[in-house]
Amino acid sequence: MKSVLLFVFILSGGFGFGQTAEEILKGVIDKIDLVEDYQADVQIKAAIPFIKVPIAKAKIYFKQKDKFKVESKGIAILPKQGMSDLTGFLSNEKKYSAVLGEAKTINEHKTRLISILPTDENSEIILAKVYISTSEDLIYRTVLTTKSSGTVSIDYEYNLNKKYGLPNKMTFTVDIKKFKMPKSVASDIRNNDKQKKYKDNEKGTIVLTFSNYLVNKGISDDVFKKD
Amino acid sequence: MLWKNTINELLKIATKIRSYIGIGALTLLIIIVLFAMIADGKSYIGFVTASFEQTLSFNGKILNGNLIAFIIMQMLIVHVPLLISLVTGDLLSGEEAAGTIRMLATKPISRTGIVLSKWIAATIYTLIMTVWLGFLSLFVAKWMFGTGDLIVLNSNGLLIIPEADLAWRFGLALLIAFLALWTVATLSLAFSAFAKNSVGPIVSTMSVIILFTIIGTLDVSVFDSIKPYMFTTHMAAWRSVFEDPYPTSAIWESVLILVAHIAVLLGITLFRFNKKDITS
Repeated sequence: MKSVLLFVFILSGGFGFGQTAEEILKGVIDKIDLVEDYQADVQIKAAIPFIKVPIAKAKIYFKQKDKFKVESKGIAILPKQGMSDLTGFLSNEKKYSAVLGEAKTINEHKTRLISILPTDENSEIILAKVYISTSEDLIYRTVLTTKSSGTVSIDYEYNLNKKYGLPNKMTFTVDIKKFKMPKSVASDIRNNDKQKKYKDNEKGTIVLTFSNYLVNKGISDDVFKKD
Repeated sequence: MLWKNTINELLKIATKIRSYIGIGALTLLIIIVLFAMIADGKSYIGFVTASFEQTLSFNGKILNGNLIAFIIMQMLIVHVPLLISLVTGDLLSGEEAAGTIRMLATKPISRTGIVLSKWIAATIYTLIMTVWLGFLSLFVAKWMFGTGDLIVLNSNGLLIIPEADLAWRFGLALLIAFLALWTVATLSLAFSAFAKNSVGPIVSTMSVIILFTIIGTLDVSVFDSIKPYMFTTHMAAWRSVFEDPYPTSAIWESVLILVAHIAVLLGITLFRFNKKDITS
């Protein structure tokens, strides 16, 4: 009886076991494709070794396929990878192969791991591990291994714009290489205190909290022109 | 009488060409820095952020007037003492070299009054130089480059200070920088009381600054006990204003040590000038 129930459960796709990696990804891509453009306010809270930065506020703009701009009055620090490049990468199905992995619960959301390997040898992304909720077609975690930026882990939280797959919170965990500033260019020449000891590679976190999304309202290309 | 004599001293400073060399050189140096930043400021920024750029992207206006002002202050606070001592090192010794010291002493003012009026004039000249430095570095740089948050480099990494938190920091930094330059002015006035020409006090002042700065930067434990009492250690105290958290006690300590130097050096000048034989 138990085996019959398990069989029925699997067929129903309760954990996405009935779906292939491509089918699971397609659900996510379909959601991404619903968004032609968006703009949103974002609050950036960074806790990065070697950098002391106050909470910054910025405005972000995105337009299909790959136009992305951050506008901020003050200095805002964002991760180099994982902002808009991942969705662009996923949308181009010919450029990668996907492998279905284990099931995992992330923040009470049941997800399946899809490992994505680019087929292009020059791709900046070496490996992307994407944890997708098959019931919601939403990404809840991404672990990107990149050529130049090391490993970037991104956790997603959703609220009002679930239907577009747009998160209201993204938590980036990035690798920060050891920072050495020559004393001659540092501002505190008089400071003879021993420098703080850090490991060769430290982890930094950047939390982006999005609000005031305006989706598919149309954004002029002029917005993306460099200042 | 002290006030009248101070005005006379200020007029003397105003009529000497060397007084304008300092202001002119300061202006020229700042113009050169501003031009360099217009031409190649972005590569300077790249140098600052390069360690992080593989992983992080810096958005917003990094190259702004506040950063330029900070860079200018950092560069020039080292060199401005020379320009100050060009004038203040001449105040007493110049009178001796020109042979006017005896005539000055015949005025109905005590020798202490003479020294104090020259010291007040030196203070006002130093204040004018500091205000001019602040005006050029802050207002002109902001007018040319706009405003924004400030990235400060220190040996532990980067600190980003929001624009709204900068006005009082620059104000306080200039005040402390003035205190440091005032110490140099008083030092050169003290040397001036011992010399018969103005070259000696100027060279001696710079020699002391260079010597103390070298001792201060040497990581040798034998100097550790004297470093906290050298005025050159505290000449860079203005930079501490751009730290977070703001080290109040360290800044107060620097202010007190600089004030103590001014008081002691002025005391030495008064003692020396009062005892000086100007009749021969």
